[in-house]
Amino acid sequence: MRILLSSLLFVVVGCASYPVKNGYILTNDRLPAITNPYFSDCSIDYVYKANIEAFDKNFGGILAIKKLGEAHHRLVYTTEMGNTIFDFTFKEEAFKINKILKELDRKILVNILRRDFSALILENPEVEKTFEKEVKMLQNASILNKKHYYFTENGQLLKIIRAKNTTEKVVVLFQQINGNEAKDILIEHKNIKLKINLKAF
Amino acid sequence: MTKSKTSIFVIPAACAELVSVKAGIFILLFGIFLSATTITAQTKMSTTDADALRKKVKIQAEKTQTVKSDFKQYKHLDFLSNDIESKGKLAFKAPDMVKWEYTEPFAYAILFKNQTLYINDNGNKSNMDLGSNKIFKQLNELITSSIRGDMFDEEQFTIAYFNKDGDSVVHFLPKDEQFAEFIQAFHITFNDTGEVDKVKMIEPSGDYTQILFSNRSLNQTLSDADFAQ
Repeated sequence: MRILLSSLLFVVVGCASYPVKNGYILTNDRLPAITNPYFSDCSIDYVYKANIEAFDKNFGGILAIKKLGEAHHRLVYTTEMGNTIFDFTFKEEAFKINKILKELDRKILVNILRRDFSALILENPEVEKTFEKEVKMLQNASILNKKHYYFTENGQLLKIIRAKNTTEKVVVLFQQINGNEAKDILIEHKNIKLKINLKAF
Repeated sequence: MTKSKTSIFVIPAACAELVSVKAGIFILLFGIFLSATTITAQTKMSTTDADALRKKVKIQAEKTQTVKSDFKQYKHLDFLSNDIESKGKLAFKAPDMVKWEYTEPFAYAILFKNQTLYINDNGNKSNMDLGSNKIFKQLNELITSSIRGDMFDEEQFTIAYFNKDGDSVVHFLPKDEQFAEFIQAFHITFNDTGEVDKVKMIEPSGDYTQILFSNRSLNQTLSDADFAQ
């Protein structure tokens, strides 16, 4: 019996979701909308100096993002000298590659970039569940069929985490926040050696 | 992550730098040359004047031992409300030391010295041995040929010469398909005193980068500190 209880406990803990593991309590009666305000103003050119650390290699560039309409963004990555490395359009569910360097045009890499940047710019993902811990709130939403958790504190979005079960896969961290502007953003992959650092111009 | 997946990132990383560096060298090489042309109208330049321009550039190149200049860069992307602005300075010392340094709004520098390409991205330093890489060997050859004043290379570029608003504008269209994928054309503008005023790199999409030079000084003594990583 004891062994059975232990096993059951193990199974329960083992199956715990990411919020439960982190001490959040499900408050499903309330489903406030998620708002990512950091790329939501059509009148702003969002321009960042970028640094990509990939498998112990570093390369810099400039990331420009513009909201062109509801759920419609253009995102371009150039070298410091201004030569376009890739140019994507995100519109509703659709994703269009306007340009990408031939050497970069690999399905696996494009998918990683698509997922990362979708999570970065999506303004109002649909809330599936809400969890709370004091003034902190955790809400989950599905982006490109992957589970993402939105961390807010006192109503301010601080990070987005893509997780599988209890394991973090990708963290998008918003720092140096000033109103609806995040001057410093880090996209960090936990399962592969890939980090994207963004610092606002 | 397997090794094969790793290469997906490594190749583009090198490639991204290469595009930047190739473009930078190209701009720089024009930035360091002077010419003296007489401009009268907004027309296609005569063959005689174009020949004279090429000759003068070559003569000036041979005289040029060092160059120091400031630059301002404007990146135009059609979908943005404003051009992306940055600025910095460049230094050149014959035969082949070149430093291209952004100072605002970010710190980033590329330096060619001793057959090596050094990058300093806001304190994050890396380098690459030019001798070990075929593409970078070609890049090095490009530098050498330019030092000899041999940039008007009809094998590498389709070249057209124009007079516009008192300036000479030379259009260079890369013949290499890989290169043309990044940059469809370079437009180099020389002012009436023959200095390079600006360089415009036009991408196949029509978006472009424009670089304006100022405060140029020639043949000043440059120290090692000017070429430190």
